[in-house]
Amino acid sequence: MKKIFFLISICATLLIGCDKEISLVLDNNEPVLVIDGSITDQAGPYFVQLSMSSPINNPTRIVGVDNARVIITDQTGVKDSLEFVSNGLYRTKKIKGTEGGTYNLEVMVDQKKYTASSSMPKKVNLDSLRINTFPFNGEIRYSIIPVYLDPIMLGNSYRFIQKINDTLDPTFHIFNDNLNNGKVNQRPLRGGDDKLKIKPRDNVFVEMQCISNASYIYFNSLDQQSGAGPGGGTAPSNPPSNIIGGALGIFSAHTVQRKTIRIN
Amino acid sequence: MRKILATFLLVLSLGLYCLPLMAQQNVVLSGTVRDKKTGESLIKAVIRIQELPNAGIISNEYGFYSLSLPKGNYVAVVSQVGYETLVQKIKLDSSVSIDFKLETKNQLREVVVESSRKNDNLTKAQMGTETINMSAISKVPVIFGEKDLLKTIQLLPGVKSAGEGNSGFFVRGGGADQNLILLDEAPVYNATHLLGFFSTFNSDAIKDATIIKGNSGSQYGGRLSSVLDVKMKEGNNQDYTVNGGLGLISSKVSIEGPLQKNKSSFILSGRRTYADVFLKATEKFKDNILYFYDLNAKANYQINAKNKVYISGYFGRDELGLGQDFGIDWGNKTGTIRWNKIISNRLFLNTSLIYSDYNYNVKLKNGETNFNINSNIKDVNLKQDYTLYANGLNTLRFGFNSILHTITPSTFSGTVINSVAKEGRNGLENALYLTNNYRANNQLTIDYGMRLSTYTLMGGDVYNIYENGVVKSSVKLNRSSFGKTYANLEPRITTNYRISDETSIKAGYARNVQHLHLLSNSVASSPSDQWIGNSYNIKPEIADQLSLGYVTKLFKSKFELTAETYYKYLQNQIDYKDGAEINTVSDVESVLLYGIGRAYGLELLLKKKEGRLTGWIGYTLSKTERKIDGINEGKWYNARQDRTHDISVVGIYELNSRWSISGVFVYNTGDAVTYPTGKYNLQGQTLYQYAARNANRMPAYHRLDFSATYEKNKTKRMHGSWNFSLYNVYGRENAFRISFKDDPNDPTRTQIIRTALFKWVPSVTYQFKF
Repeated sequence: MKKIFFLISICATLLIGCDKEISLVLDNNEPVLVIDGSITDQAGPYFVQLSMSSPINNPTRIVGVDNARVIITDQTGVKDSLEFVSNGLYRTKKIKGTEGGTYNLEVMVDQKKYTASSSMPKKVNLDSLRINTFPFNGEIRYSIIPVYLDPIMLGNSYRFIQKINDTLDPTFHIFNDNLNNGKVNQRPLRGGDDKLKIKPRDNVFVEMQCISNASYIYFNSLDQQSGAGPGGGTAPSNPPSNIIGGALGIFSAHTVQRKTIRIN
Repeated sequence: MRKILATFLLVLSLGLYCLPLMAQQNVVLSGTVRDKKTGESLIKAVIRIQELPNAGIISNEYGFYSLSLPKGNYVAVVSQVGYETLVQKIKLDSSVSIDFKLETKNQLREVVVESSRKNDNLTKAQMGTETINMSAISKVPVIFGEKDLLKTIQLLPGVKSAGEGNSGFFVRGGGADQNLILLDEAPVYNATHLLGFFSTFNSDAIKDATIIKGNSGSQYGGRLSSVLDVKMKEGNNQDYTVNGGLGLISSKVSIEGPLQKNKSSFILSGRRTYADVFLKATEKFKDNILYFYDLNAKANYQINAKNKVYISGYFGRDELGLGQDFGIDWGNKTGTIRWNKIISNRLFLNTSLIYSDYNYNVKLKNGETNFNINSNIKDVNLKQDYTLYANGLNTLRFGFNSILHTITPSTFSGTVINSVAKEGRNGLENALYLTNNYRANNQLTIDYGMRLSTYTLMGGDVYNIYENGVVKSSVKLNRSSFGKTYANLEPRITTNYRISDETSIKAGYARNVQHLHLLSNSVASSPSDQWIGNSYNIKPEIADQLSLGYVTKLFKSKFELTAETYYKYLQNQIDYKDGAEINTVSDVESVLLYGIGRAYGLELLLKKKEGRLTGWIGYTLSKTERKIDGINEGKWYNARQDRTHDISVVGIYELNSRWSISGVFVYNTGDAVTYPTGKYNLQGQTLYQYAARNANRMPAYHRLDFSATYEKNKTKRMHGSWNFSLYNVYGRENAFRISFKDDPNDPTRTQIIRTALFKWVPSVTYQFKF
């Protein structure tokens, strides 16, 4: 389905007149706590980044929240009080992420409590990466197909992070098995924008994450809004998050596999 | 249900109560009003009797009229916009049938939007109604030089464009899917080509188009906001003619002529764009496909004086593709067979059998693998519509309409996925209606009626019943069995009171019910948008509209000022959850949200319809809001198309017999959109924080277009004209999109980027006729 929008955006670019930077008066921002935490099946420590949102014209990238109490517990009774590192970053001390485990996050900031819970799905093996070529506007384009066999049970969700020669592809690559349940994946990672196209001799790094349904909705919502912006596409809003208490962000327990391929 | 039927019967009997009032001594004058040169029947021609100022009637959709009069000698005056008024002596000893033949006026005097006629008292009490004169719209500048019905109606107050260059439209705060678009009575589900830049209507094949903004008669139903009733030409039954146009983007040709002189005729009209021809010439885009075509065909046959049959069809298709790998195509097919029967000189019957089909296909190919998406909506529609000219004061219209809908949502197939054959859903939509046009006296006209509409779920698929997004139970219906039925009564009334010869006031109330809904995850219309019928979760959408109007003539009837206000309340509106994947989810109903809406506004229209300078100024002040559980914390928010101010100015000036110039200026408040209030970083990416939905505005939109038309001296056989137009004369870069992104040179800084679609679009079109 994504490809339709891709196609439509190509047609639209044929007609687009011009892009110009403008200035707008935006509404006042109410700073909100942002929680970005994850537990993976890799060896710890795991990190939770706490920050405050800031006005659009604020040049600081991360406004860290340093005075928080952060606790992660699992279903076996392990309770881990995270230690503060720097600029809103907190590190686990003992908890261990495993497939199928459920993790609860509790964050206390200025007497306000935020909680979230996430269960790590079973790992689906990333067998290999495959190069997909297709002709596009008179040239050969490349994209990467992550090869994995989706399990027979419906309801698997995946997120892929792609880096091209160490540059992060900002596209949210979010897959589920609504259509190809139980099959070997053949869907490529949508090649980013023109500025980040894959060329021969590039090294492409792919991280595959098996994610929960809540994470799927969160990242899919970001994907639907990305590039669209006001004036086209879905009306933007803060993506539905699994964090209770009014914070932005996501707490995700997921598996991680990484592979790199060189385009020849 | 029984109560509803009882109410309906009561209304019916009230209407028929008027029947005994028929004056027994009267005789009946009936017949058809036609164009003298082409034999086309003339819709809404006014027939008056000079000796009886209170008597008169308007010809119906097929040009038929019927008038009860005492015996005597009269002078009949027949008038129609664009035609010379016909004055004819009539001797009425007994009931007679007379066909009036009108001659066209000098072409120079055509006006785009017709005004109410000089004898307002005869028109129906309709409100919020405008008729577009198709032959005159060629002088209004349009983008790409392609004269376009849908873009012209967007220049009327209360009708708003879906976007830059877009044929989609919103009426009085309703959604794009809440317009009933009829082509020869067949509903057109996707009225746009090429992602909205062109409408599916080839203006050369169209005779007449009327838009009714919510207060339509009871014979119409099924959509909340408006009815756009488009009638195809019948074809010249006197002589063969060929019409055509050559443009930069597309060309078209139509042929019409008699099958049997005076009795039957045909028209064939085709259009095709050739952007792909230009694409082929470029190395970069040579494998791309981008075109559409459409064909209109119509024929009519007069069996005898009392029976006439019409067959009409439309076939249109869009093709888009990138090499061998991606392709998308979509199109509408409609077919209509109609049978006009003059049962008596007072009773006219039209029976229609209509077929309509809309589908789209997406093909993706990748080496040996392929992937297809298909979706389809099919209607078979039977209608009977009776018009009873009961007496001089009452004209009754009643009938029924049954539509069998077959809706197949997006189904996916291919080598790489599990092809799930989604069962199509059937739905049976039925309607019974009765409406009466009652002329109480010379001042007061009342149109009142009732429509009973029902929708019955039919088998073929499993219907899940959800509570808070969780399946509570399921209903599996066999193909031939019926499920839940929704029944709604739709009362409608409009009144027109003439204060003086120049001025009248109008008031109306209408309830409209919609049983089919469009699920769209984008703001602009997309061919992949899905239609869905009522279900156990999706209830019929309901709109109640109350309106008040004032019409007056100014400066010796050279100008006409119309003011209308409306308040509309919408129920059972549909949206979907944030982040939901509506295209691939196994049951789309699991991700839907429901709510209400309200819209209110003031519309002003000042028309000048006579003289060398014609045109209008339209202004709309309006508000449109939605309130949906699960969106914007359940609070009211602006609908995207909420544009506070909307102005359009259209002027056409005849310089001399060869040259005419015209201009269009539009201004509207920017769409209601959501800008971020803040930003934050998540896993190395900048994300934006949002507050209330649609609380911000796009920059205001304004634009001036200009065109000049040169008509060559008419020779005996050939008639040609050139049209030169420039869209967006002062090159305003109107914002199509505003996007926020990291500055590539300094990622801590956010850039706000405005994307504009068109700066200037010049075009040249050559039109010919022989």
